[in-house]
Amino acid sequence: MKTEKEPAKASAKPKVAFFDFACCEGCQLQVANIGEALLDVLGAIDVVEFREVMSEKYDKAYDIAIIEGSITDFHAEERLKAIRARSKVLIAYGACAAIGGVNGMKNSFDLDEIRASVYGSDYHLFDSTPTRPVHQVVKVDYTVNGCPIYPPELIEVLKHALRGLPYTVPDKPVCSECKLNENVCMYERGVSCLGPWTKAGCNSWCVNNGNICYGCRGEVKNPAKAAASDIISKYNLKPELIKGKFDMYNKCKEGDNNGDHK
Amino acid sequence: MNYHILKKSELDWFIKKLSRKMKVCAPVAKGHGSFAFKEVKSAGEIALSYIPTILPPKKYFMPPREKLLDFDLSGGKPSDTAYLEAVKTALFGVHTCDLAGIQCLNMVFAERPRDYNYLLRKESIFIIGLECNAYCDGYASCALVGNHNPNGGYDLFFTDLGDRFILHVGTQKGEELAEGLGLARAVPADMVALAGVRETKKAVFRNEIGVGLRNLPGILAGSVDSEVWKDLGERCVSCGNCTNVCPTCYCFDMADTINLDMKTGSRNRSWDSCQFESFAAVAGGENFRAERAERQRHRFYRKFKYPLNKFYRSFCTGCGRCTRTCMAKISLKDTLKALAAG
Repeated sequence: MKTEKEPAKASAKPKVAFFDFACCEGCQLQVANIGEALLDVLGAIDVVEFREVMSEKYDKAYDIAIIEGSITDFHAEERLKAIRARSKVLIAYGACAAIGGVNGMKNSFDLDEIRASVYGSDYHLFDSTPTRPVHQVVKVDYTVNGCPIYPPELIEVLKHALRGLPYTVPDKPVCSECKLNENVCMYERGVSCLGPWTKAGCNSWCVNNGNICYGCRGEVKNPAKAAASDIISKYNLKPELIKGKFDMYNKCKEGDNNGDHK
Repeated sequence: MNYHILKKSELDWFIKKLSRKMKVCAPVAKGHGSFAFKEVKSAGEIALSYIPTILPPKKYFMPPREKLLDFDLSGGKPSDTAYLEAVKTALFGVHTCDLAGIQCLNMVFAERPRDYNYLLRKESIFIIGLECNAYCDGYASCALVGNHNPNGGYDLFFTDLGDRFILHVGTQKGEELAEGLGLARAVPADMVALAGVRETKKAVFRNEIGVGLRNLPGILAGSVDSEVWKDLGERCVSCGNCTNVCPTCYCFDMADTINLDMKTGSRNRSWDSCQFESFAAVAGGENFRAERAERQRHRFYRKFKYPLNKFYRSFCTGCGRCTRTCMAKISLKDTLKALAAG
């Protein structure tokens, strides 16, 4: 009897839906651009909603909901909660969803002031809240950091989710991977880089291609606070420069309770 | 073993001959005063005068990321196949500090349980050393550990004698290559010149910290609670640069990865670092070295204390890479001097 049931079960692939909130949809583009591996991904899952590549909608429960973007108004909060209620597993992907990302810069200003600057004098007609990453609104099961996401990591997380295994985001600085790639340190090139404080897992993608680390994957759990002054003095930098660079992606960190974010 | 001579004008011919037999890797300038071992096809690409490369040649012996086996769960019983990628390679221009590093790794990985991936790959690598006639820079501490002169660990060893190199043959493989290329045997005048280089080095290379290597295990044993570690702990970034660039740090992490078919996959290892907070964390939430100070202390003990007791040799090769790469200016020499001063 068991042998008869197996084929039917195998064909019922997990239903996966992609959603976007406040973001540039660049992470969806990354998924669509995965290349050959996309065929393997589509062999393992059944994509039921994905606005950027298909128009179909789905009205049943999702096995996995993959959320892009940060939550910046009440409407988005309600929509996210509804998706969470329909999903067995929820993955936050991309810096906006994972840590708030560049949308978090909004939180550096007084809310009404920033609303007036964007919407003009009738700003009160437009719903707006301080920017929050997904985990500050609903429970998140898996996180894929990065702006944009590093496709191999998304596939790794997806495989963990499909097998029901926990995924551990590396909690060591980007330098650890950068060194393995034998890049000349950005500081030696006379440029300040956020690698020493930013979570690895991207294989130092930006530095490999001649750019600095912008801190898009978020800060490691226990960043080297005192060490920063040694680095700043060794390379003759200004502390405000590092802080300013950090706030570009990491402003929403202030909303985390005791760094409980994955 | 014999000594041969290679004129400097013949180096390009030598590299090209060698690269027909196997992949040749040598130090290459990367700009901003940095160097890296890379594949070369001619002598012109090689930086004969170089400070230690970003990563030591250990990257060829134990790649930063390495597949160990493929597995398949689709049958009734899981099956696996060992995997080894080993390309016949010649490393040219390996300094004596890095030769010592490879010797240390050889000892570690030959211990039981033997590491067959390391030991088998090692057999495919031909090592050509290159003597340092002067210090590479002020970060090195090779005289402290006696690595400023060659102590074996090579197939061939080059010493610069001005217009020519004198080659010491270290192994049968080295002899076969030198004889096969028809390299001239060294004459007594060459041996006199070599002795002259070594004599000059005696005055140049001096114990860099003024404390004998043999005293260090005792000094470290007595400094468990030293304030020096507290100071290092406050400055350390925990980026793992010091261990990644160390020629003798060999700790690795292993993980199984499954393919999207959810049936096949592979077991892989990658370099790990005792400087990461997660390194000594175990199930139940305990972390044996939760503080940066403890992790830095551990690093020094693993270079100057534990291996001296176990293998009777220093696992610091004196290359100076850890100090050179540290963004927080943690200096190996200054740390040892501070500990010795108590």
